[in-house]
Amino acid sequence: MPRLLALVISLLAVPALAQDTVKIALTGPYSGGSAPMGASTRDGSKLAIAEINAAGGIPVGGKKLKIEIVERDDEAKNERGALIAQELAAMKDLSGVIGSVNTGVVMAGDKYFQEAGITKIICPAAGSASMTQWLTKGDKPGPERLSIFRFAAHDGIQAELVVEEAIRRNLGKVAIFHDDTNYGVSGRDDLLDQIRKQGNKLQVVTQEKFKIGDKDMTAQILKARSLGARGILIWGIGPEEAAVSNGMAKLGYKVPLIGGWTLSMSNYIDNAGPNGNGTLMPQTFIEEPVTPKAKAFIEAYHKAYGVSRIPSPVSAAQGYDAVLIFAAAVKQAGSTDSLKIRDALEDLKEPVDGVIATWKKPYSRWSPTDVTTHEAFRKEQTVMGMVKDGRVVFANPADRARFQKRGGK
Amino acid sequence: MPFSVVAQITVSGALIGLVYALVAYGFQLTYATSKSINFGQGELVMVSSFVSLSLLGTGLPYWAVVPLGILFGALLGLAVERAAVRLALEQRSEGWILLTIIVGLFLFSFAENVWGRDDRPFPTPIPGASITVLGVDVTGLELAVLGGVLVVMVLVEVFKRRTLLGKAFDAVSADRDAAELMGISATHTVMLSYALSGAVAAVAGILVSPITTVGPTMASALVLKAFSVAVVAGLESGFGVVVVGLFLGALEGLASLYIGSGWREAPGLVLLILALAVRPTGVFGKAVIRKV
Repeated sequence: MPRLLALVISLLAVPALAQDTVKIALTGPYSGGSAPMGASTRDGSKLAIAEINAAGGIPVGGKKLKIEIVERDDEAKNERGALIAQELAAMKDLSGVIGSVNTGVVMAGDKYFQEAGITKIICPAAGSASMTQWLTKGDKPGPERLSIFRFAAHDGIQAELVVEEAIRRNLGKVAIFHDDTNYGVSGRDDLLDQIRKQGNKLQVVTQEKFKIGDKDMTAQILKARSLGARGILIWGIGPEEAAVSNGMAKLGYKVPLIGGWTLSMSNYIDNAGPNGNGTLMPQTFIEEPVTPKAKAFIEAYHKAYGVSRIPSPVSAAQGYDAVLIFAAAVKQAGSTDSLKIRDALEDLKEPVDGVIATWKKPYSRWSPTDVTTHEAFRKEQTVMGMVKDGRVVFANPADRARFQKRGGK
Repeated sequence: MPFSVVAQITVSGALIGLVYALVAYGFQLTYATSKSINFGQGELVMVSSFVSLSLLGTGLPYWAVVPLGILFGALLGLAVERAAVRLALEQRSEGWILLTIIVGLFLFSFAENVWGRDDRPFPTPIPGASITVLGVDVTGLELAVLGGVLVVMVLVEVFKRRTLLGKAFDAVSADRDAAELMGISATHTVMLSYALSGAVAAVAGILVSPITTVGPTMASALVLKAFSVAVVAGLESGFGVVVVGLFLGALEGLASLYIGSGWREAPGLVLLILALAVRPTGVFGKAVIRKV
């Protein structure tokens, strides 16, 4: 028995051999109301990983290393996200994390990655708080160095576009609808903030709340209508947003519905059906083959997963590009060490040719007073999309032309 | 607030309240015969909806799926009775409380694994477009809920009052032992009540699915409110659940209009506490005089 014990201990104590893979964790909700975003991000990331591995891997220190995937379903639950983050942060050989759809999950888990020095690219959670939580607030200084990056058009940009669109359409009086999650509440604050910044050209007649799972929005819609709202600005996720569209159709209340990019989720489009037509939302990627790269990506996704429509095209494209950027950082760092990868991400020398854009220096050295140092997206990479017969298309033809010839920022 | 808005919210809320009433009615049916309640009633609603959705997926027409879905609900009700209730009742224990909860949890996991955790639309030939009745907009789906709930409850009540089998219900309800002595099989009557309760759950699922979408969690909020309705109305009165269901639904709508949409559920809960404090047998319940 003691001998067996000694054997077990010696096995455990074998020093880790030089790594022959780059271990990346993919996390997100692969089930539930946020699943179209989570699963599409994962599948887009896997597509990029498969392409990199098929080409032999990432060159690191004279060798080509293949990417190894660790996958975790956080079910969009904050407490599960925190547990998963703790588990991943304890993995000694983990190079990085890509994922998270839900702002609440990010808020619950990212501190463990930051403490353990594990580089994470948040993709596609858009809630502003995910990154602003690291800023210096009053006498509480933000961290000197930061391992958390974001690869998504954050809500600040999205709210700016939504408010611009509402002003462009001359709506005047609007109602704000939001769910009671971290995402919904911070989205409402971003909208109010943008309305103020853009000169108070919109009057918010009411702010209406709903819960995840609510399906009867009659009361909220009627209140908005009776107070004379000429448009609804909304921050929530697909199933409840569909309930709002269906409720508006029932009451014959035909005003524009404009909101966060979640309005492009398949569970909004499917559950709202024809009532979803005309709904507007900011997008970073439209499932139209406007560039050869986009065409190849869309076709590869359809083929790999046997679908004719990507459940959430924005998530899939962002998941794909995030992996390419991460891989470029691994190559430049010449190491699987997460902190070295972080340093390389903050100073990427070579442009990364992604499906959304050609990314030239997407990130810079973190500053606790400037959140954009770790935000890859700017307003120019974002356009208004519109639901039309079950798909998201360009709301303005001019944007289509702009996307055709876009490259980097 | 203009009157038309208040009227619209009251009507829309009340129509949703009818669904609470129908689920609550399922509680009452089993309580009448066996003084037991299926705490997994919500999962019966959900699983029946998923089965109906799968049947629709095989290409069967809607009107063929409806009776099959109801039949499935009835069978599921029988299964719950056999697995979770009968033994406990025979031993005069309260074990059915835990057992029905366990069966519900099992059905929930079963649904998650078989059908996944996504909310899915439920296709129906009933038009979703709205019509205006006396200045109030209602959709075909909501009218279907109204019609469906009333038809089901009237049918079951007629069955209970006008048929011999239905009389057995009342007999077992009044005194199980005396009914047994009169040659009525209490076991069979309880089985029948669970089958009816399952069928009612399936009807509720089929009626509400096109409005709420089908997903494993579709009934969790519904069943809590249905339970409030059953308790406030009293576990004896079929007429009572309809009235309380309508009232609670309308109250929710009005609360979110006047107090704010974050307070939607609050008045219902206050109502529940009040009812329990003032009339523990329910507003429409009969006080039972127990002679010792």
